[in-house]
Amino acid sequence: MNDTLVEFRQVVKRFDDFVAVKNLNLSIAEGEFVALMGPSGCGKTTTLRMLAGLEKPTSGDILLNGQVMNEVSASERDTPMVWQSLALFPFLNARQNVEFGLKMRGVDSAERKKRAIHWLERLDMGEFIERPVNQLSGGQRQRVALARSLVIEPKILLLDEPLSALDAHLVIRMQGVLSKLQKELGITFVYVTHSQSEAFAMADRVVIMGNGDVAQVGSSREIYRAPANKFVAQFVGRNNIVSGKVISVDNGLVHFKTAFGTFSMRSPKNTAIELDQSIDLSIAADRLSVEARPHGAEEISQIKSGTTNSEPNQVHCTLISEEFVGAVVTLFFETNDGTEFMVQVQERELDELNISQDANYILSWSVDAAHLLDN
Amino acid sequence: MRSERISGWILKAYLVVIFLFVFAPIIASVVFSFNSQRFPTIPLGSFSLEWYEKIFNDADVWTAARTSVIVALCTAVLSTCIGFATAYTDYRYQFRFKGAFLALALLPPTVPLIILALAMLAWFSKLGISGQISSIIFAHTVLCSPFAMAIIRLRLSQMDENLEAAAWNLGASQWATMRSVIVPFTRPAIIASFCLTAAVSFDEFAVAWFVSGLNKTIPVVILEIVQGNIDPQVNAIGTLVFVTSMTLVIIAQVLIMTSQKRDKIS
Amino acid sequence: MTQSDSTASNNRSSQRLYALTWRLPIIVWQLLFFIGPLLFLIAMSFFLVKNYRMHEAFEMVNWQKMFSRAYFKDAYVFTLGMAAGATVLCSLIAFPAAFALSFKVSENTRRWAIFFLIIPFFTSYLVRTFSWYVILSESGVVNSLLQFIGLGPYTMLNTVFGTMVGYLTLTLPLVIVLQTFSMSQIDKSYIEAAYNLGCGRLRTITSVIIPLAKTGLIIGAVFCFILAFGDFVSPYYLGGSKPPTLSILIIDTTKSGQQWPRAAVVAIVMMLTLFTVAFASIAYAYRKQQR
Repeated sequence: MNDTLVEFRQVVKRFDDFVAVKNLNLSIAEGEFVALMGPSGCGKTTTLRMLAGLEKPTSGDILLNGQVMNEVSASERDTPMVWQSLALFPFLNARQNVEFGLKMRGVDSAERKKRAIHWLERLDMGEFIERPVNQLSGGQRQRVALARSLVIEPKILLLDEPLSALDAHLVIRMQGVLSKLQKELGITFVYVTHSQSEAFAMADRVVIMGNGDVAQVGSSREIYRAPANKFVAQFVGRNNIVSGKVISVDNGLVHFKTAFGTFSMRSPKNTAIELDQSIDLSIAADRLSVEARPHGAEEISQIKSGTTNSEPNQVHCTLISEEFVGAVVTLFFETNDGTEFMVQVQERELDELNISQDANYILSWSVDAAHLLDN
Repeated sequence: MRSERISGWILKAYLVVIFLFVFAPIIASVVFSFNSQRFPTIPLGSFSLEWYEKIFNDADVWTAARTSVIVALCTAVLSTCIGFATAYTDYRYQFRFKGAFLALALLPPTVPLIILALAMLAWFSKLGISGQISSIIFAHTVLCSPFAMAIIRLRLSQMDENLEAAAWNLGASQWATMRSVIVPFTRPAIIASFCLTAAVSFDEFAVAWFVSGLNKTIPVVILEIVQGNIDPQVNAIGTLVFVTSMTLVIIAQVLIMTSQKRDKIS
Repeated sequence: MTQSDSTASNNRSSQRLYALTWRLPIIVWQLLFFIGPLLFLIAMSFFLVKNYRMHEAFEMVNWQKMFSRAYFKDAYVFTLGMAAGATVLCSLIAFPAAFALSFKVSENTRRWAIFFLIIPFFTSYLVRTFSWYVILSESGVVNSLLQFIGLGPYTMLNTVFGTMVGYLTLTLPLVIVLQTFSMSQIDKSYIEAAYNLGCGRLRTITSVIIPLAKTGLIIGAVFCFILAFGDFVSPYYLGGSKPPTLSILIIDTTKSGQQWPRAAVVAIVMMLTLFTVAFASIAYAYRKQQR
């Protein structure tokens, strides 16, 4: 990877009694697109604001280009930010907004104007150069905010939920604009968001935060397929979390007991499993399969544990509700002890399943589908 | 349903009566100022500019007008500056004793003017600065800065909370941010505050009467004429004062309303 | 290391300088020209006057003199009664108007009405009082109108009625505005709910609207009391100064008698009364609201 541009070393931020960031260690490389993601109050925005110098760490160091920045004021950092509210100057027009940073750096007015117009044109805002910002649409204002930050040619751009105020179709378009810009400019983007679709779509690396801690760092795929812990699995969503106790380990399989039956999973490679250990695991909703329980089939046992590699885990349950998002349907089931399962299927598969509420179904998953979570 | 409508009409009629009561003395004074009778009654006398001619030829009125304008302008500048600083402090900073700080800033309007007048007269005499134009300005600034603060604080509360930080983030120092962000944003409120404090100062008579000494302002001249006997000159002066104050108040109101409207579009 | 330390402390001291630039002006100004005078007023009440000159001293004589005079007690009771009367009258007269502005007119009308109610605040109270003097006089506009329908003439000047008209001129617009602010913020669904539950219209006002708008109503009343209690123009010109109020007493003692220390005693008694009334009412307003 490239050289490190930003480094957080044991950074802690407290507001009175509230700890916003607990012992953060993170480095960000030059040219990297990093997303900080988490629910509100997780410390992601505080982290970004500390990097911009708008909050001071209670302890620990923040390094930029290898230099400790703790005592460098916000105005001397060259870490421009795109704000959630955009924070455009309402009394200036688009060009004057873009010129602001250059003016503060003492660039003369002809040069300022030239560079501002260049950036506005580059962001397809050529028609609106002299327009007052309150006469621009949401997407246009977004572009002015971007141009205003990029015109000072920074090595890093900070973005604080920049797309959260936009309509859904504009969000997708702006995602494209941002990804393209980042690649063309080759500068570092640090992008704070609570939206996984934004983070997963654009970022090289996603940092998931919860309660002031880093819960997981990884690529979108890694986080989606192998959530590190229960918090990430729940936050990413569409994961079924199963808790149980290990009863035996053999043939590369772990057998464990839950409130609704005994199941098996492939032994994880890097973690030792002990007997009687409590484990949490997640099973992605799209790795479960559903079949209708044959009518009149006798009620021998509720569950069937997969004992060999080929034999899947199975659980009987009833359908409680369904949710349609485009071509993907999420079905919500309940076992007879009240545990919920969600399963994602394609819309066209529904006909074969002959779905009806309160009917009985069998859910099954392979021993490879379950993924062990850290405690 | 029907009784509801009737009661609605009664209430609206009541409103009209109240507004008549509130505006009767203002309208009457304007009408009387153009009336030839020394002692106006119904039916009114003929149209006349006699009282205006009288005051325009009165050197004392001109001197007082000059004093009033100087006092109003200086008070407006001083109280707007102080009010701005106080409003910005309240907007930007949290600190210990902030409650006491705000009480200190906002308390003057709750003290009766006559008490402030006496206290200031005695205090200025003690300091040896009584009876000067500057003493009226000092006193009026105390009365007016809470208004200035309220108007500018209201404007600051309409500002995007990240606007200041956005300027720092783009490389502006604190002072540069003040100059190029906070002041431009609050400019309508600054001008409105300037107009309203000038209007308040222009009309104030109790404190001015006590501390002005020989440097009478227009309201003090009115007070002294009224103390003598009925003289319709008061109506003429009053109408001119009214027109001046109204102009200032309307400018202020228009500025406040249009700046709010402009923000709303965005 | 040392360099970054020094820039850091530079940074911090420039931050402090910046903060103080905005914090200090009001503190300095109010201490010099607001708190200073008020404290001096208290001190002055213990000074002595000999041969029309004030001498700094610490004597109780002004307090004893003022408290032993019947006219001071009379003036106190009269002023308190008049201010209380004006407060009740003004609140009662203002309420239907504020009610109409809050619930019976469009938002646009309300905004304009409030604008027009603010105007009198910035016009000369003296000139308005003088207008009333002319309008209410023995052969003035009101009496000549009454004569057309065969009534009058009535004596309205130099009476309590005259003083009240003056007080209302001063306070009514402000009280209507404050009452309207508090009532127009009431969620209309409360009122609809009350109607829905079979609450009559008058009962809705007494048991829903007044309790909800209580804080605003009380603050309006407090301002009315402060203004009426301290006003000297209406009782002097329209009430004929018979008997004098406390503020007229201050003017007379200061302007003619040169007895500033005794005027200071009156002023301090007025301040204490106002603080007590204002503090008690506002405490009451907020206590009730919390429950």
